[in-house]
Amino acid sequence: MQVVILGCGRTGSALATRCETEGDQVTVIELEESCRSRLPLGFGGRFVAGNGITPGVLEAAGIKEAEAFVALTPNDNANIVASRVARDLFRVPHVIARLHDPDRAPVYSELGIATVGSVHTTVNRVMQLLHHLTLEPQQTFGNGETLLVRSRVPDYLAGRRVLEFNVPAEIQVVELSRAGHSRIPEHSTPLEGGDVVSFVVAAGSLGRLRSFLDGRLS
Amino acid sequence: MRIIVIGGAGLPEQVAVALHKAGDEVTVIDTDPGREAALVKAGLRSVRGQAAVPSTLEAAGALRADVLVACTRSDEDNLVVSYLAKRRFDVPRVIARVNDVANEMLFDGSWGVDAVVSPSTLLVSVIKQTRNADSDSAGAVAQPPA
Repeated sequence: MQVVILGCGRTGSALATRCETEGDQVTVIELEESCRSRLPLGFGGRFVAGNGITPGVLEAAGIKEAEAFVALTPNDNANIVASRVARDLFRVPHVIARLHDPDRAPVYSELGIATVGSVHTTVNRVMQLLHHLTLEPQQTFGNGETLLVRSRVPDYLAGRRVLEFNVPAEIQVVELSRAGHSRIPEHSTPLEGGDVVSFVVAAGSLGRLRSFLDGRLS
Repeated sequence: MRIIVIGGAGLPEQVAVALHKAGDEVTVIDTDPGREAALVKAGLRSVRGQAAVPSTLEAAGALRADVLVACTRSDEDNLVVSYLAKRRFDVPRVIARVNDVANEMLFDGSWGVDAVVSPSTLLVSVIKQTRNADSDSAGAVAQPPA
């Protein structure tokens, strides 16, 4: 895939390196020539110095042939303008922009540009680590009121039965994977250490499920 | 007229002061707190903040403004502010400054820009006019209108 990345800071240079390692043809655009040194020695992609909102600079970076454009500068307005120019003027099929100030999110969504928000992503991840620990939702339903989570059954819960985890309107065991085979367990099925269990959980009960898995079955 | 001028020292401030002297109701939006006191002393309204954020524009009275001049030294800032002024606040006349001629083609209705001011393009056109006047009058120096 031909990828044009705007911004050669920590994130831009890391993404460029990763894309190139995975076989993409990468061009990095950066205002500051000195940032070229953030790219590793032997980097096989191209580096274009210039302002990424300027059509001539984007063209020099091969925007007309690019399949994807990623705007990662620290300047939200530069990211907005460059993304829209890439999409509307040069018809790049995949355009992604970084968003620093959550107050500006509505502008991006009005313009139909997919965003990756530093603040949003960090807050979500920290909340997950704080409250859900290892429980990563596989799927959310509705507006996130209900979630599907999978968890490995810790050894100290071996022998507990499925019905001990079920709480009406809060937690429901829906699936059990053991030794590579999946099935819908019965209430009386005893769990074994190493089983992977799928739960449907009300969002407000994630903490309770977490406590269960910590061994605090009430 | 109610006019909002975006930008700090230099061109934006001079434009704002000139319009104020001409009798317009002028509000300046700028990120630099250093200029605020001078502006207020001169009788202008001053709002400090990022103009590309809707709440700042609203605080500056964008809903009631007749004209908005996006006049900062950054082309991307001028474009995003123009877009918000037109789409969010329906400002009747949005004027934007081009800093880098290479970006001039971007300044159009798709960003909410009604009129473009490009100092370098303006300067070049004046020089061209002077040159044409020179050749018309066989080498005579063009005189400014009296």
